[in-house]
Amino acid sequence: MATILSTQAVSKRFGDVIALDGVSLQIREGEFFTIVGPSGSGKSTFLRILAGLETPAAGRVHLRNTDITDVPANRRPTCMVFQNLALFSHRTVGQNIEFSQKMKGVPPHERREHALEMMRIVRLPESWYSRRVTHCSGGEQQRVALARALASDPEILFFDEPLSSIDYRLRKILEVEMKDLHRRTGKTFVYITHSLEEAMVMSDRIAIMKAGRIVQTGTPTDIYYRPTNRFVAEFMGEVNVFELANGQIAELGIAVPTGATGCLVVRPEFLRKLNDGERADVRFAATVANDYMLGSRTHYHLDTGKTTLIAEVAAGKAAGIATGAKAEWGFDLSDAAVLDE
Amino acid sequence: MRRLNPGILTMLPVLAFLLAGFVIPILVVALYSLMPPRTFDLVGNPTFTNYATAFAEGYWRPLMWSALGAAATTLICLVLAWPTARVLVHLAGRWATLVTLLIALPIFISESVRLFGLALFMMPGGGILAGSIDALFGVSIGTILYTRLAALLGLVYIHFPFVLFPLLLGVSLVPKDQVAAARDLGASGWQVFREIEAPLAAPGAAVGALLCFVLSLGANAEMNILGGQAVTVITNAIEQRFNYAQDWPLGAALTVLTILLTAAVVFPVLKRIDVDNLAGR
Repeated sequence: MATILSTQAVSKRFGDVIALDGVSLQIREGEFFTIVGPSGSGKSTFLRILAGLETPAAGRVHLRNTDITDVPANRRPTCMVFQNLALFSHRTVGQNIEFSQKMKGVPPHERREHALEMMRIVRLPESWYSRRVTHCSGGEQQRVALARALASDPEILFFDEPLSSIDYRLRKILEVEMKDLHRRTGKTFVYITHSLEEAMVMSDRIAIMKAGRIVQTGTPTDIYYRPTNRFVAEFMGEVNVFELANGQIAELGIAVPTGATGCLVVRPEFLRKLNDGERADVRFAATVANDYMLGSRTHYHLDTGKTTLIAEVAAGKAAGIATGAKAEWGFDLSDAAVLDE
Repeated sequence: MRRLNPGILTMLPVLAFLLAGFVIPILVVALYSLMPPRTFDLVGNPTFTNYATAFAEGYWRPLMWSALGAAATTLICLVLAWPTARVLVHLAGRWATLVTLLIALPIFISESVRLFGLALFMMPGGGILAGSIDALFGVSIGTILYTRLAALLGLVYIHFPFVLFPLLLGVSLVPKDQVAAARDLGASGWQVFREIEAPLAAPGAAVGALLCFVLSLGANAEMNILGGQAVTVITNAIEQRFNYAQDWPLGAALTVLTILLTAAVVFPVLKRIDVDNLAGR
């Protein structure tokens, strides 16, 4: 796939704070690209630079082969869905959706037709057309914002954490709709969020951002199973991290043939209770300290005496695991990632 | 016994004040306007003679000059205040405070003093402006003092803060994200102003414009001090009827006409703006 949007060493500072420190990225045509990072990582600033709402202190932004670094937002073929949606509060649903076309001087009846089509795409009932946006529910406003962005027929849609203030149930529904919308429109989506889980569900590729730098870019599978550093590994919720020292796992005192120093990262689902005679590359004795029922799976906190580990067991495979019970546990090195830092 | 609602109790002093200071005087004036010309009591036969006289003797002229002056002042103040408000809102921080103070401080000085200052500034020959230019460049300039233009300048100068401060509040309530979203959706600077900023700041602008219009309509110091005899406004006419002419009923009739004109402008505007919205509720 061809690159549609790329940045070369984009930097930005606010006073003494470095918001972006030489960010270079390539976003491919038609992909759902998500930038994930904790708050303050600079992802919002980066998105605003991509959208033309902010100018970088250094570095360039290219749309295909055109340098658009100094092109203002209103002359870029891109559109942003804002965190608080930024719907025009004094206007109706229809007027919001038609805004970009009105600015272009499209006649009213054509604008209306177009707006109604956009409303069909985001599954808003036609009767909402003349409703005030302030009278719409959170989910409906979300759809109005999407329709408004789509109505300008942008080449790229930017999303600035639009789901962050929405309750869990609705967020899950909208995540699915967003992915579906991406597939149906075939447009390039660039999305930012602080939730790696949200990014995993929707994205083709993910970039992890930390303190103004990109620390890893890859598919959700890459990010989850092959993190390149500890920050990425720990970003996606609970994970087991072992320190490596002198070719040994420090916490367990077990020699491993990795040779390296650094750390060993093992996802909870790769820790398993060993049956008699079952082999594993790394094995240790542990007591189940606590259990946390998560529906389709259960998390167990394992106390090895020196450290506490998390094991995830699928429902129906938890036979013989009970709180307080001491048992042999283990994992294979092929399921673990060795990281330098 | 049922206890009286405390809300009504706390309102009583204000109600009494409004009744004695506002409602009763207006009723008295309204009643006076219906008394026979040049009488000084309120027991004559009601008549519309004074209103007929007001029109017959051309008092619509000063009323028109007042209305025109007030409208022009409001318009000029709005045009001047909008960019100022925009800059102040975006400036924020220490500079905004300083500029705001500079604009607000003159309000604490008597209006007449400021107007006489302005008159001194504009005076021909040895006036501050003309004198300085003469001394520095040897060029003699004329003056606009004692013209309608000077009076208008005074009106704008005095009433600018009354437009600026409500407008400042209005402009500061325009969400930055909505402006960014409009830009992002292809709106030019002018389109952002027309579609987003102006309608969202409209309550502030309307309050400021009303204050300015009403105050300018009732202003006469600007005319007396800066306008000289160039123009007679309705407040001058009313003052003359009550003082020199000793024709209270005609003065009262002119007052009622002025109040009606004010009401005709104020109420339609007030009806359309949501003051609660401006207060951020």
